[in-house]
Amino acid sequence: MKFMLTLIKNEIQKILGKKRSLIGFIAMGVLIPVIMIAFSYSEGGFANELSKKAKGMGGGFLVVGSIVNGYFIAHMIMNFLWVHIPFLITLVAGDVVAGEGAAGTFRIYLIRPVSRFKILLSKLLAVYIYTAALIIFFGLLSLGLGVTWHGTGDLFVLHDGILILGPETALIRFLLAYTLAIFIMFSVASLTYMFSSMVNNGIGPMVGAMAVIIISIAISNIPLDIFITVKPYLFTTYFDIWMKAFYDPVPWDAIFKGIGVLAIYIISFVSISFWIFTRKDILT
Amino acid sequence: MSTPALEIHNICKSYGKRKVVDNLSICVNKGEVYGFLGPNGAGKSTTIRIILSLTKADSGVVKIFGQSVSEYKEKTLIHTGAMIEKADFYQNLSAEQNLKMLASMTKTPSKRIDEVLDIVGLESRRMDKVKKYSQGMKQRLGIAQSLLNYPKLLVLDEPTNGLDPGGMKEIRDLILKLSNEGITIFISSHLLSEVEKICTSMMIIKNGVVIREGNVKGLISEISDIYFTISVNQVDKAQTIIKNLSFAKLVNTDGEYLQITSEKDRISDIIKIFVDQGIQIKSVIPNMTLEDYFLTITEENSKGNNSRS
Repeated sequence: MKFMLTLIKNEIQKILGKKRSLIGFIAMGVLIPVIMIAFSYSEGGFANELSKKAKGMGGGFLVVGSIVNGYFIAHMIMNFLWVHIPFLITLVAGDVVAGEGAAGTFRIYLIRPVSRFKILLSKLLAVYIYTAALIIFFGLLSLGLGVTWHGTGDLFVLHDGILILGPETALIRFLLAYTLAIFIMFSVASLTYMFSSMVNNGIGPMVGAMAVIIISIAISNIPLDIFITVKPYLFTTYFDIWMKAFYDPVPWDAIFKGIGVLAIYIISFVSISFWIFTRKDILT
Repeated sequence: MSTPALEIHNICKSYGKRKVVDNLSICVNKGEVYGFLGPNGAGKSTTIRIILSLTKADSGVVKIFGQSVSEYKEKTLIHTGAMIEKADFYQNLSAEQNLKMLASMTKTPSKRIDEVLDIVGLESRRMDKVKKYSQGMKQRLGIAQSLLNYPKLLVLDEPTNGLDPGGMKEIRDLILKLSNEGITIFISSHLLSEVEKICTSMMIIKNGVVIREGNVKGLISEISDIYFTISVNQVDKAQTIIKNLSFAKLVNTDGEYLQITSEKDRISDIIKIFVDQGIQIKSVIPNMTLEDYFLTITEENSKGNNSRS
């Protein structure tokens, strides 16, 4: 166990030694404060929009005071940026194995008296740690800055009407949503990692993984019978299960189903990676 | 009899239809400096990658100190240090960080990092990022990483690649020093004069097949033909004469210099014929090196293969 931790530490050191690993953190560090500032100037617009939608649902709905608070903004940011996060994950996950092939460093790393399985496992866990760290950073920054800047309050969520979650409930729901988000992103990391174990350049796995994700999402959204039949089996179909953390009551069945399908995909991607890489001839 | 440091038994390796290593067997005894020679594409690097389990052989067995590498990778490689082709490191990390990372994989004490950096003369640059290193420094760092785990067997693939003559001598001296400390060294190279200087035994392969194997001095003494360069005033006439001799062959002509290979002890006959024919001889330079030997036997082998096919 201690030895595995040493290997994971090595991998994290390698990941952090590359500038591309910081792109995700820098992008969020810039974009989230910009969105916060933008919300400060368009608070009324959001309230009006929400009121209109509420009225459109029938019945009288009057918003008194501001619905824009730290929780509301953090929820909106998650909606805005969610589709972009996979790209940031693929930047690192795509490079973690293939990058070593391209750089020729496997010639010094894989000749140590350590099994390839352990080395691969340490790389995978390092990618998962990076993925989790990125989502945690995303959550802490959007919630932390949002609450500091715009305070707390009830969280207004549009789902079959308007849901209003109290501040304590909202915080717990955020915790659940970010945990689910980490798990969802593990599937993206695993897919990219699988491609990374197949080739010797860091760009290919990134492009490959993004292509698979984009095609899967496109298929999910095309209302043709054949695609509707396939949709439940696509892993991207469950990319939005984090949103269900804000429904009331929480649809646990749907969440567990999503987790189950994603877990099957993650296990499959990882198994294929290990199967390929433990048999692969290192020629670079 | 003690267990050999390295044994290779009948390994074969193909990529697609191309056979890269064909039924190769090697035995390197403890304390030997073993030269593994061959032209580019001969299968040297593939063999070394198989030894270090970077590549899997299609068939055959590799043993280090009596244990199979494919079955006991962790046990066998703990005694082995290696540098394969040019040394590539994590560019954004310093030499010390690179070595620390590699040392952590064998639980090597950190004082060993100081020792190996001292051995290769990089202690003053240990904190510099590797991307700032020259090729020579990277090669020396490559040797340093190969020594981290106190190896009993050192496998070096073209260790002087890309180095200037001074750097090559440094690495050569270092290899001799390590050999004197009792480390068994298996070294591949195509710079044959180098192998001649440091190796006790050698093997020559081409197209994955063994051409010669044995003691370096013994193999040189077996040579029946000798290379030399002769400078004359009538090049065309000299060329015609050589072409008609059964015991000599013209290898190359460069201006007034004719590079000739002939049977041992027949140089005087050639000189006598030239003088009798009125050709003035300006100089005769013997070029007998391992390189010439290597060229001769690889050419012989090619001819043999061609005539068989």
